[in-house]
Amino acid sequence: MLRQLTRSMGLTSRLLRQVNYGTNAPAGTHIPVTKALEIGQWEEKLKAAGVEDTKFNVKCIVSHVLKRKFNLVPDSYDQLQLNPGQLADFERFLEARCARMPLQHIIGEWDFMDLTLKTSPSVFIPRPETEEFVRLVIENYKNAKHVDLLEVGCGSGAMSLSMLHSLPQVEATAIERSKAATVLAAENAKMLGLLNRFEVHNHTMEEDKYMPEVLKDKKYDLIISNPPYVKTEEFQFLHPEVVVYENLNALDGGSDGLRVARLVFDLACRHLRPGGKLWLELGNEHPPLVKTIMNLKYEGRLKFVASYNDQYQRERFVQIEKV
Amino acid sequence: MMSRKVLNLRLGYLARRWASTDPLNIQNEKLQAYLESLRQEYYAVRVNAAGNSKSYARLAQLEGVVSALEQRRVLERQITSAKDMEAEKDEDMRELMREENEVYVDLLGKQDQALLQELLTLSDDEMYPALIFGLNAGAGGQEAMLFAQELYEMYTGFFEHMGWEWEEFASEITDIGGLRHASLMVSGEDAFRWLRHEAGVHRVQRVPATEKSGRMHTSTASITVIPRPADIHVHIAEKDLKIETKRASGAGGQHVNTTDSAVRIVHLPTGLAVEAQSERSQLKNRELAMKRLRSRLVQQQLESAEASKMATKKAQQGSLNRNEKIRTYNFVQDRITDHRIQGGTMHNLDGFLKGGDQLCGLIEKLQLEHRKERLKELLDTWEPPKEAIKEN
Repeated sequence: MLRQLTRSMGLTSRLLRQVNYGTNAPAGTHIPVTKALEIGQWEEKLKAAGVEDTKFNVKCIVSHVLKRKFNLVPDSYDQLQLNPGQLADFERFLEARCARMPLQHIIGEWDFMDLTLKTSPSVFIPRPETEEFVRLVIENYKNAKHVDLLEVGCGSGAMSLSMLHSLPQVEATAIERSKAATVLAAENAKMLGLLNRFEVHNHTMEEDKYMPEVLKDKKYDLIISNPPYVKTEEFQFLHPEVVVYENLNALDGGSDGLRVARLVFDLACRHLRPGGKLWLELGNEHPPLVKTIMNLKYEGRLKFVASYNDQYQRERFVQIEKV
Repeated sequence: MMSRKVLNLRLGYLARRWASTDPLNIQNEKLQAYLESLRQEYYAVRVNAAGNSKSYARLAQLEGVVSALEQRRVLERQITSAKDMEAEKDEDMRELMREENEVYVDLLGKQDQALLQELLTLSDDEMYPALIFGLNAGAGGQEAMLFAQELYEMYTGFFEHMGWEWEEFASEITDIGGLRHASLMVSGEDAFRWLRHEAGVHRVQRVPATEKSGRMHTSTASITVIPRPADIHVHIAEKDLKIETKRASGAGGQHVNTTDSAVRIVHLPTGLAVEAQSERSQLKNRELAMKRLRSRLVQQQLESAEASKMATKKAQQGSLNRNEKIRTYNFVQDRITDHRIQGGTMHNLDGFLKGGDQLCGLIEKLQLEHRKERLKELLDTWEPPKEAIKEN
């Protein structure tokens, strides 16, 4: 199954690259979106491929193909027309979606809180729960005077950039192991006009080499991270969108899912100011485990403050304080 | 050439004399007295205003009229009187004076227009920060619902055109794309002043898409505009809310990549349920759903509260004859006729239904008409204050 999916990914990415604007079709023939959907039987195909919430998927693709803002696309498509080029795109994208390519990769952008961010095939896509996590952090810092923020593993930059967007008193530094993500985060920051308060370094965190050389003496008020936390044994249960298309480095948390989180703890010991906070988004069985680890191994250095539920009532977020 | 100028001046004089019987002409004595009373009120309020926000609000209202009035008086004084002209012996000098006078008369005419405009704005004194805009399909079955949907698009287009914020908190759509009813909340400082003129019954005459034999039908849709007073507040406690998303169970976070952005919120004490799915971000949808819930609760309160009865009554008075047919959209003749004003017929239905400049222009006319009426009524009932008479 996995191999088959990998093959179809190869196929669809080729499909995506191929630019075919249907020049054979008579110029100026427009086809209503409803008809295009009907002829291709796309809703049925999506359902058969195991895509949930097909209507939403179709609407996202319609909005992308017609270059209309998502919230301005009407719920009924009778009035919307596709020209031959748009129709070709439309079918290509739906084909890709049937092969379970993530919707966010197909349309090349996604909304996170108030921001629209560019996505890239090899960079982790932020999840809805992460919005909740960032909202919680922002809530805690909205009255702070000045905040030096560090994000470990920023991916597309979603968390840091949302913090910067909402709170003018924040200055953010991020480290990221993937080159592609580092570039993407900087690009997103530039696009959003936040580059003057944001810097991102390409660096892989290792024991005793937690930070890049230029930042080795820097201290921060706040560290946030959504480190890889999927246990190795759970990989077989992941959705095809995740396992086939997403950068597994951004997910692999080792045997207990806390391999990278442990490195972040050590980094926080060295780079948080006394009283500074570390906020983490983790898997649902992690917070109690983190509490135990804090008590056993970090006594006198880090202190577990509290854990929080996500919107699905799973205990997912933790707050830790530097003593 | 000279004689033509003289003729012009004379005609102008005659026109002015005739106009002074028109209650809304600046030459009209009662209007002059009314203006003077406003000016005196302005200065009286200004002297005693210190720290009183009501006084400041009144000052801000009056400022436009008073400054326009004072500018007008300055201009008036610039005009050389006929007596002075005669006294002037030098022919060149007299010519100069005449030319000058022409310029000033012209300016004075413009200033009168500006003054009237200010005065008319003042007479339209109802201010509401927001309103509830209701749209209901009337007689005519499916066709009426299709028409209601077209009106819906026209008005939402118009809200965008005017830069007002709006949101829909209830609507019912039929399967062939018609609209049974919709309630929208529109916020914008002057939204009420514009939209009140749209309340009433709108009539459509055309051969409906649903009609097979090609007969022309007449159907209606009605519009209500209820101002939302500023002092209604609702408090929503977090514990009273049940928030649902598409994904109720199963793994979350990095394990899956679902794009479940749709949100449903149930307000437990009232049982009200709202949904939002117009944004790609779940958090944004949640905020939107909360806003909708809030406006639904506000609407509930409005409908029950004593305050709303007052507001609605006022609105009905403002928008006169809610149940009267106010406008006809005739597709066969590509014509729109507003039945409340003279010369209320226009063409180009397609353009009109976009809710842009054409609709805007029509409402502007209605607004002017309404304000003139208001001002006339006001002047009819207005008595000059005693002091003013004594001064005369």
